[in-house]
Amino acid sequence: MRALGPGSVSSFLKVILDVVYVALAISIVLIAIGMIVTLLFDVDPALFSNMIRAGAPGGALTGPEIAGELLVGGLYAGGVLAIVGQLRRLFATLTAGDPFHPANVRRLRTIGLLLAALGVLEMVRYPLTLLDAKLATHRDLTPNVTTWFAVLVVFVLAEVFREGARLRHDAELTI
Amino acid sequence: MPIRVRLDRILLDKRMSLTELADRVGVTIANLSILKTGKARAIRFSTLDALCRELDCQPGDLLGFDGGPPVDFGDEDEDEGID
Repeated sequence: MRALGPGSVSSFLKVILDVVYVALAISIVLIAIGMIVTLLFDVDPALFSNMIRAGAPGGALTGPEIAGELLVGGLYAGGVLAIVGQLRRLFATLTAGDPFHPANVRRLRTIGLLLAALGVLEMVRYPLTLLDAKLATHRDLTPNVTTWFAVLVVFVLAEVFREGARLRHDAELTI
Repeated sequence: MPIRVRLDRILLDKRMSLTELADRVGVTIANLSILKTGKARAIRFSTLDALCRELDCQPGDLLGFDGGPPVDFGDEDEDEGID
């Protein structure tokens, strides 16, 4: 099975990315609606039982705290949505059989920056969710090695694609 | 670019059009135009061979060196194409 071009593995993955993109977009809309609902109305925290941490000193979560959790979840989903959007465009060029399209360099760098942003978000999520007062002793600022390794790999790949784009350009102008 | 391609002068001397030369050499008119206007990055020996054969000239008649600072090809625009 071919890796590039129409009907290849790339086109199959592009279809999957399209589905994931739509699902993420719908999820973000639902999260936004959930945030508005929890902020405006009294919500029974038991509805979000999986968000209530056992042993939390403050007990059940309040509406604003649930909204905070949803905000972090929404930001995370938004970051992943942006990454998937860049991957969709990148895979469109792979499906067209043109992997070293110059725009792919910028797309990979954008993906690297978004991954880094998600890594930072992962580290600071507890203060953002207003749970800080209840979980004051729990500050997870240790970096996720996997995430940051992936960031470096993506930036290196961007440089590889930059060299590929340069060679492609040279080949185009070789008569 | 310090390397000059004197294709237009030779075509004039031989009274040949770019289109006719493109047909004879087997290179597209667009690519020959890139060569003629000095925008080409490189030329294959096979292309140079075909051009010299059809124009009945030497490579030195076709190409010249004007001196000056070397060309810095550097980084190309990375935002080419539609996103």
